[in-house]
Amino acid sequence: MRWAFSSALVLVWTAVVAAKSFSGNRLLVVLEEQGEREKYSVFLEDLTSRGYTTTVESPKADKLSLFRHGERAYDHVLLLPAKSKGLGPALTANNILEFLKKEGNIIIALSSESGTPTAVQSALLELDISIPADKGAVVVDHFNYDATSASEKHDVLLLELPGAIRSSIKNYFGGDGYIAVPRAVGQVLGNESPLLAPVLRAPSTAYSYNPKDEAEAVEDPFAVGKQLNLISTMQANNAARLTVVGSAELLQNKWFSESAKLAGKTIKTANREFAHKLSAWTFKETGVLKVGKIIHYQDEGKSKKMNTSTAVPENNPGIYRVKTDVHFQVEISEYSNDHLIPFTPASTDNIQLEFSMLSPFQRLNLSPIAQTANATIFGVAFKTPDQHGIFNFRINYRRPFLTNIDEKRQVTVRHFAHDEWPRSWQISGAWVWIGGIWVTVAGWLAFVALWLWSKPAERSVKKTQ
Amino acid sequence: MRVLSSFVSSLLLSGATIVSAASSWSFEDATVSVSSKGAGVGAGPKDKLSPSTPLAKSVSLGVSDTLKLLLTIVDGKTAKRPHQAFLTLTDPITGLEESLVLNVKESGKGKVDVSQKDLPHQFLTSSKPIAASIVIGSFGSSTPYKSKVFDLQVSRDPNVPLTIPEAPLRYAAEPEIRHIFRADPQSPPKMITIVFAAAVVAALPVLFGVWATLGANVGHLSKALGDAPVSHALFYGSILAMEGIFFMYYTSWNLFQTLPAAGLVGVVAFLSGSRALTEVQERRLAGLR
Repeated sequence: MRWAFSSALVLVWTAVVAAKSFSGNRLLVVLEEQGEREKYSVFLEDLTSRGYTTTVESPKADKLSLFRHGERAYDHVLLLPAKSKGLGPALTANNILEFLKKEGNIIIALSSESGTPTAVQSALLELDISIPADKGAVVVDHFNYDATSASEKHDVLLLELPGAIRSSIKNYFGGDGYIAVPRAVGQVLGNESPLLAPVLRAPSTAYSYNPKDEAEAVEDPFAVGKQLNLISTMQANNAARLTVVGSAELLQNKWFSESAKLAGKTIKTANREFAHKLSAWTFKETGVLKVGKIIHYQDEGKSKKMNTSTAVPENNPGIYRVKTDVHFQVEISEYSNDHLIPFTPASTDNIQLEFSMLSPFQRLNLSPIAQTANATIFGVAFKTPDQHGIFNFRINYRRPFLTNIDEKRQVTVRHFAHDEWPRSWQISGAWVWIGGIWVTVAGWLAFVALWLWSKPAERSVKKTQ
Repeated sequence: MRVLSSFVSSLLLSGATIVSAASSWSFEDATVSVSSKGAGVGAGPKDKLSPSTPLAKSVSLGVSDTLKLLLTIVDGKTAKRPHQAFLTLTDPITGLEESLVLNVKESGKGKVDVSQKDLPHQFLTSSKPIAASIVIGSFGSSTPYKSKVFDLQVSRDPNVPLTIPEAPLRYAAEPEIRHIFRADPQSPPKMITIVFAAAVVAALPVLFGVWATLGANVGHLSKALGDAPVSHALFYGSILAMEGIFFMYYTSWNLFQTLPAAGLVGVVAFLSGSRALTEVQERRLAGLR
């Protein structure tokens, strides 16, 4: 009965929640003028078709609130640029950060034509993302511009889909084609935070300037070249994601499949595909890692196969001896659009196991040893260190664009028991002492026999005296 | 036309410049000079730069030197001020870029001064020369210009310590740690052990030999067994058994197996021993010892 009920519940759940996001499907779109909605209709329809229930609200609406009863009222927020300077009481910088703290995901789209609201600006500053303070600052590049729509102003940049920022980082935004980035607001990322990662960098010849400056030549640009980001992301420690899109126009219907002209050749923009990838990542459809079972066992010469069924508990030993051979296995899946797939890290990247007591005694690269339908099993074999104490098997896997893994399994590592040491006769240095003991024993037995039964020697000498 | 335009774009992509195009940005009369502190203006060596080919030798910038770049920017043939005029320095290994803005006058005359304090620390420690390129671009249809003009070799005074900020944290795989185990305890060479063990074992026959020369014998054994057979057999047997118990304890028994056995044998030894020793005393009193 109970089983039937719960399976019915699961059926209902899958029917209702067809969202592809790992974290939820309630999406709030903040748009000041409802008339502007038409401009983003394709992007919003794409989101709806991926299972999001979108609520479009004006920032000034009375009932708008990111929270209800102290919890998130939405799972994701898409903040489109607004004409007005303020965003109202519902969308203060504090509320935006609080929303991130409660694991909500945000896309903030900026536009150089309408100024950035102070709430957004200070929220970004809090995250160490700085944008030009003056309204109207725009990124231009005299080398990679669209000659059809911006032959004079050079403010519509045509860029290839981005590559991986480092070889050890998976690229969730790559592909073939060009993205049009019209009238973008450039961002500069703080150097200290490892949580920030650029998605789309400006080309090396681009710079950000304010057209309102009457100066004929740029003298003190906000930022130049690759230090200028057109799209940047932040993934908080709780895996809440925030994406800053420098150009809201990038998401508009107009640029989704537009013919553009770059240095004489006509190209088609791939903005729609890119917007999909960008929103899919931010709203946790991609780059989400899930840890399944973690098992470890003492190596007794035969390898054990991991039982990946959730019905079987992990059932790991709680104690090991120092210097024993131990096998460790972990099951990691990656969520990709709507299902879990086996996770493969970037080619030069490694998932690492730390066997640690306060500090790691062993830090070892895990290698994939098997694959199930939706998980890769990573494993490593090692020897427990010659130090007893309370140890942790720890996997702390943090990479840009991937949710964090921090798993620990605690075990005791005991020293040798008294009967686990090698016997004294196995130690060649002890043979002299062992020999001494048995010689003494034999001598003692002989002495007792003599003392009991020895017959005195002939008294002939004494008699003669 | 199409051929020409694709030709132009391919030239553009390869970073070469087009001087012949009707309207394209370029520069003229460019000189780069390095003057050290204290020396007069224009004292250092001066090199002419060409917009089409980079300087063959690299320009060296010492600790207290100032690099001065002077040029006239032209749009086609006419001198003009562009919106963008940068000197971009690129680290060939890391790809790090730093752009310095040229100060350009209305007449198109531009200049920039570079000294080591203007450069980020990565450039100061770079092992390879840094590529310096000039970027000129502006709004409108004129072709922008970007080309490498010279290599900058930054020479540092090794005695002056450079404060390099600690690299910020980035999430990446960390270096592996493999625990270094303490060395196993060592035994001396087996030959030595065997020699000394043989010496110890050889002491037993020596002892027996010495006893034999002093007249040791077991001549009273039959007499003792005749007088108190049970107690002598039990007493000596219990002493042998005690040694056997010690042997079992050494090889396999635990303390709880050993103690009852040792207690039992001990009682037997005590009881039989008192009888056996009485017999020995009788022999002594009889003058037989």
